[in-house]
Amino acid sequence: MAPTLVNAAFGALLAAALLGAAFDRRSVAVVVAAAVLPDLDAVASLAVPGATNALLHAVWLPLAAGVALYWDTEIRDVSRLRERAGRRGVRIAWVALAAFLVAGVGPDLFGSEGANLLYPLHDAYYVVSGGFLLSTEEGIVQTFVSFGASGPGILPLEALGTTDSYAIATFANPGGRPGLSLGAEREFALVRTGWQLVVVAAAAALLAVRFRRGGRAGRESQEGRGSQEGRGSQEDRKESTENAAEVSR
Amino acid sequence: MVSSVVHAGFALLLAAGLLGDHYDRRALAAVLAIIVIPEADSFLGSIMSGAHRTVGHNLVLPAAAAALLYYDTRLRERSALRERLADRWIAVAWVGLFVHAFAHVPLDWVHLEGVNVFWPLRDRFYLLDGEILLSTADGFVQTFVDLQVDPETGGRTVDAGGGGTTETVHVNNPVQPRDPDEPIEEPVERIFPVANAGWRLYLVGTGLFALAARRLQDRAPPEDES
Repeated sequence: MAPTLVNAAFGALLAAALLGAAFDRRSVAVVVAAAVLPDLDAVASLAVPGATNALLHAVWLPLAAGVALYWDTEIRDVSRLRERAGRRGVRIAWVALAAFLVAGVGPDLFGSEGANLLYPLHDAYYVVSGGFLLSTEEGIVQTFVSFGASGPGILPLEALGTTDSYAIATFANPGGRPGLSLGAEREFALVRTGWQLVVVAAAAALLAVRFRRGGRAGRESQEGRGSQEGRGSQEDRKESTENAAEVSR
Repeated sequence: MVSSVVHAGFALLLAAGLLGDHYDRRALAAVLAIIVIPEADSFLGSIMSGAHRTVGHNLVLPAAAAALLYYDTRLRERSALRERLADRWIAVAWVGLFVHAFAHVPLDWVHLEGVNVFWPLRDRFYLLDGEILLSTADGFVQTFVDLQVDPETGGRTVDAGGGGTTETVHVNNPVQPRDPDEPIEEPVERIFPVANAGWRLYLVGTGLFALAARRLQDRAPPEDES
């Protein structure tokens, strides 16, 4: 699987992009946790053969969660989730679901160890790898999607194998097969390649900017309640209106 | 170059997280323009050796731009920019700088011959390549920066992926598909990559996903926060 740190970074980026007015430390923590969650199936693989990148990387669980969420918030007369957690809770739930799929499963599916998308109904690890380019000699060249490829898969993607034939080594399970192997060397990857380091750095910088902006706005509104004087510079005025707009949204 | 489409995808994701109240089509268009414009250094290749990945792809000019922007809008009594531009466009300019420094330069830094990070202060291409991991056998391992201490002299050498200079390095691009110093047989195949690896397609897809999700959210009725 792609390093868990990279999943968390993409989760943080999605949280910043999609949470809107619900953005704060707690909601970001929830969304990042949702992005990290799929990697826990590596622990399950100690007991279930080949559960890594399969059990929590299949589409069924998020699909069911999405249907349940849609039914509860859009179709039912009274939404339980909205009653309990408010609109803020509903928004966090949708963003967490998106983070699970896009940030949790996505990096594994797109060109590393692959994800067993249809497990357990159909057992095959898929990976999206290839290229897409325009050439003056050969026109459009596309190798991501291939129909009629040989292998165990039924989706038009490259298939790496089944849970029987393809084992993924992780920190929790260095051999990729059931059973504890206590003596084995374990590696916990933080970033595997340069671009992953770029993503992690960008996510860290972006969260720092957002929290700093939020903290400053929060302090100002507190000061504003205490005393109404001293709002001289343009900068302060701009930020307080920003803050007000964010609250009203 | 890593395709502009990939830069744009990652830039959209970052911009959606940073623009806040300024998020709209015009602001996004401005951010995308900032992503595409540095690629124009491909065209300078015919008049300056090794211009691509040098003139528009360093961290010195963005740092200088950030310092100027900070000085003008925060420190000066009368800001020349604030008199001409609305506050919103100054905020967008900051987002543009962030996106250039995190979605454009670094993604090229990890690709082919890398980028000329410190140009014009120092003329050397750097390639960011390596991994970081924790191992039960070796502890903390990182291979991005290679630190070596010569046991005899005690001198230290640092290898951060440095390569050639503008004189020796040519990064192929659609404008100059081959190194101009080498003989070229016609016709030359020009390649315009869109996404040449799964992860690049993923960055494009994630940016588009963020854009689509924002549209869906904005269509929903205005929220009264509780």
